[in-house]
Amino acid sequence: MAQPDSQELGQATTAIHSRAQPDNKTRRYDRQLRLWAASGQSALESSRTLVISASATATSILKNLVLPGIGHFTLLDPNTVSPADAGNNFFLNGYASIGKNRAEEAVPLLTELNESVDGKASIKSVDELLRTDEGRQWIKDFSLVIAHNLPKDTLESLSSLLWEDLINPPLIVVRSAGFLADFFIQFHEQCIIEPHSESFPSLRLTQPFPALVEWADSIDYDGLDPTEHAHIPFPIILVKQAQKWRAEHGGELPKVYKDKQLFKSQIKDLQKKLDEENFEEAEAQVWRITSDVLLPSEIKELFSLTPLTTSTDPSNAAFHALLQTLKLFVESPEGPRCLPLTSTLPDVHTDTESYVRLQRMYKEQAGKEAALFKKILSETYPDKPVDDSMVDLFVKNTHHVKCLRGRKWGSWEEDKSAIVESLEVYPKETSTHLAISALWSLQAKGIDVTEEALTADILSQLPAGTTLPDELDNAIGELTRAPTADLPNTAAFLGGMIAQEAIKMITKQYVPVNGYCVVDLVDTWTGIVGRA
Amino acid sequence: MLKIWSMKKNEDAAAKKKPKTSAAQIRVQKDLTELDLPSTMQTHFPDPADLLNFTLKITPDEGMYKGGVFTFSFNINPNYPHEPPKVKCVPKIYHPNVDLEGNVCLNILREDWKPVLNLNSVMVGLQYLFLEPNADDPLNKEAAEELKKNRDQFLYHVKSSMRGGYIKGEQYDSVAQ
Amino acid sequence: MNGNSTSSDWDGRYFHVDQILDKAGPRTDESFVPGDQVKDFLRNNCKILVIGAGGLGCEILANLALSGFKDIHVIDMDTIDISNLNRQFLFRQKDVGKPKALVAAEFIMNRVPGVKVTPYYGKIQDKDEDYYMQFNLVVCGLDSVEARRWINATLVNMVDPENPESLKPLIDGGTEGFKGQARVILPTVSSCYECSLDMLNKPTAFPICTIANTPRLPEHCIEWASVLEWPRVYGDKKLDTDDPEHIGWLYDVASKRAKEFKIEGVTWSLTQGVVKNIIPAIASTNAIIAASCCNEAFKIATSSAAYLNNYFMLIGTEGVYSYTFEHERRKECPVCGGESLDISIRKDWTVERLIEMLVEKQDIQIKKPSLSTPTKQIYFQAPPQLEQATRPNLEKKVSELVEEGGEITVTASTLPFNLSLRITYT
Repeated sequence: MAQPDSQELGQATTAIHSRAQPDNKTRRYDRQLRLWAASGQSALESSRTLVISASATATSILKNLVLPGIGHFTLLDPNTVSPADAGNNFFLNGYASIGKNRAEEAVPLLTELNESVDGKASIKSVDELLRTDEGRQWIKDFSLVIAHNLPKDTLESLSSLLWEDLINPPLIVVRSAGFLADFFIQFHEQCIIEPHSESFPSLRLTQPFPALVEWADSIDYDGLDPTEHAHIPFPIILVKQAQKWRAEHGGELPKVYKDKQLFKSQIKDLQKKLDEENFEEAEAQVWRITSDVLLPSEIKELFSLTPLTTSTDPSNAAFHALLQTLKLFVESPEGPRCLPLTSTLPDVHTDTESYVRLQRMYKEQAGKEAALFKKILSETYPDKPVDDSMVDLFVKNTHHVKCLRGRKWGSWEEDKSAIVESLEVYPKETSTHLAISALWSLQAKGIDVTEEALTADILSQLPAGTTLPDELDNAIGELTRAPTADLPNTAAFLGGMIAQEAIKMITKQYVPVNGYCVVDLVDTWTGIVGRA
Repeated sequence: MLKIWSMKKNEDAAAKKKPKTSAAQIRVQKDLTELDLPSTMQTHFPDPADLLNFTLKITPDEGMYKGGVFTFSFNINPNYPHEPPKVKCVPKIYHPNVDLEGNVCLNILREDWKPVLNLNSVMVGLQYLFLEPNADDPLNKEAAEELKKNRDQFLYHVKSSMRGGYIKGEQYDSVAQ
Repeated sequence: MNGNSTSSDWDGRYFHVDQILDKAGPRTDESFVPGDQVKDFLRNNCKILVIGAGGLGCEILANLALSGFKDIHVIDMDTIDISNLNRQFLFRQKDVGKPKALVAAEFIMNRVPGVKVTPYYGKIQDKDEDYYMQFNLVVCGLDSVEARRWINATLVNMVDPENPESLKPLIDGGTEGFKGQARVILPTVSSCYECSLDMLNKPTAFPICTIANTPRLPEHCIEWASVLEWPRVYGDKKLDTDDPEHIGWLYDVASKRAKEFKIEGVTWSLTQGVVKNIIPAIASTNAIIAASCCNEAFKIATSSAAYLNNYFMLIGTEGVYSYTFEHERRKECPVCGGESLDISIRKDWTVERLIEMLVEKQDIQIKKPSLSTPTKQIYFQAPPQLEQATRPNLEKKVSELVEEGGEITVTASTLPFNLSLRITYT
């Protein structure tokens, strides 16, 4: 962004900033691009979501996906709008919609929220689609499927269909009645390069690279004038002090509490006058020496993870190639024997010149290590080139990358001992989940929803003699009160929750829920049971 | 409608309607009436009914700035103490931590402000700047350089600036007592 | 409900909501009477105020309308900007520049028949207590701490011990990216907004000397442009962060400085983000928080189920993590805390006599009290100028300064909180 030097600062230079000023699309999406950036946005824009049922909950979910700009959605519903639908669904034309198809009435009101989204209504029934190869294929061709309040049998067929092949889309199952709800994301694997973790990657101060050591060695505290002394960057102070400690303690770093305190006080004593902020910073950052994590155990665990198959989602395949490359990188004698260095520095109390110097050193070293990483990658996977920007992103985030393994919807319930344990540890969450499952079961069997029937159904699913927690009464009481209510506020709440999860699944940024998320809007809480 | 009234506790049943004084105003009243200032600092309220806008006069009785009168304007907004008071140095002075526009480099006025601090802490902090100008993290870089390089020369500059003199082509306001 | 169906109301319209209103649940207060009366109150008598017609406000209005609230008022002082359209779903491209409150109200009335939404395009501070007194409930979707503090204090101050109707539940929501919170404030009964002020993240501020001399981050360069250069170059001319010309100028100045110091990363978006203190915002999080607020409003208005006690915090960045807890009232809260005393004195008592009496009072342990009314100072112990200015009041009769039933705010260094006195004369 060069500017002619002769130009005075006081003169606004439209020529320059008109080039930088964002276009309308960027301005429209500004508040979300600050979260998931252009990469997340383009993932959203190329996604195709199928939503089954045009209920109030389902249209609320879609609203929150259309607004941020998903590529395409299809809303599937064979039913006509009832007076009740017209009363609780914002995306219908009130009384005028009664008697018309729910999906066809809702889609225009959803697509008008965002011109760039392609939305279609389909009046087919999901049960019919599930009966034909063509129908099944049609469902599988979406990138994400969301189902609200489908009957139990339909849900079972749908989840089995989508579970049977790794390339099938994830399925979000949403069930709600009155103030209670639960939802579950069925997926085989979710590889996340950008979980946007709030923890800091190691600056590798316990295993400093040569340029850092050289700088630390060159520092003579007493030879510096007061200003220079007050501006030694804290990483340099820490490296220097750690080396000194090592020299005096047989190569070891402070490990026990007493030593850590001593190490801290040594840094404090280096201050030449009160309030030298760089030394105060070094003191506050002592954990970077005493608890430096060069290879987090979560990442080490990923090294032993076997890729599901080779035919899986291409970007997941690339992720696994990168993960294996990372393992080789850590083992390589040419490398640092830990994760690649981060190139992003936190702010450091120092002068501009030192900061820029430090930044450049980190960039250079990180660049060297990234080059080694890429070399190993191309040697190990010569015929599977991975997109360079993906490699860079991966190398930048190696401290935080995640690979979640999910499970089939309903499979947790097969493990009776897990449920019994969950009832003890998370009584209200587990009770609510079981009560909702029981409601679905009664409805499938055509049994009247009573507290006794719900309890009986729950007990029939559990080992004999299981004691039910008191919290169960709250859940079954609410369900018998409002077994078929799709309340506007519950619908809106779930609309937000499920859209958040869908966005995380589609962008592969941030971390989606693993397990059943249970919602109780009487006491207003959420909880998780049945984590994979 | 839920019967909330019955939830008011007995002690609260006797509670009185609170005065319509804003939280910021109560805090400012508390801060101001508990000020414990040495004779070298004096507040002045151009409109005594307006507690949110006033000035502080500092007349250091020791240090390099002895003999000068330094006026700071205080502006407190309704979001006090969530936000710090806005403080500016009124005269143009030659000081490493005050720039020519009157901006003051004092940590508790910006990055280190906390609602538990009060006006007294800010005023004491300002006075400290005249006793111990800080050359390491300056706002007026030239003044800071001078202070580091040649203390006598700096002191000479301070004295002449306080009389309204020029330093490196810049005229300063006369602040002599 | 009525037995006929028209385009503004129809049989079966409230099938879903009525499942709740026709029967109590296990966690419903025993005072709840299911049936027509509660429906009638909700749909024909309850008057609710929505503050803010932005990200949360749009959602709140839609949810309240569908829940059956039919007399809704909305206040918002803003006009629609293009960057609102990714979440404020009642607005379209053609509405950019129009007042949010007006467009939102009209949209809701068109979409949900029979609901009356009364908009006010302006500031909450334009309205007085009489205005706020007309509502049963207030739901707040604001992005400003200052406005929240104001409405909170107003509603707390409105509580009149002689009038149960004066207690207006305040339901407040806020979001940031994938995170948010919703809370129920029962003024003078439960913890208020001011009680929890210290839970807020303080806005990022950089040391001014860093900005001036040792910039390291692109943000430092941007602050240099906005905090130091703008006033230097333009004097008193106010920086308008909504004016692209102004942002452009800051961007150019910041870029030039960054280049000079070899700092990377000054972009238009970052410039705008720093100077406007932009908080990321998405439709889904707003939907969750607004729904939670409206759900509480519905439960409180109908007492059909227990309500949130009193704080729901959501973090959606890593899985779904939420925390529901009771935020405690703060005894020394300047809005809802402190002590209050009824004091009855003789009409001829001077201020000095009143102060003597306060100091003598064993139960409050007060030394050197300073006194004021909401509009004027009575006696200040310090600073000297104000002490001098208020000293003549010591000789005056309290009754000349404070009307019957009037209030006096007392502060003193020995009191960690403030004390309010209500004066009556014998």
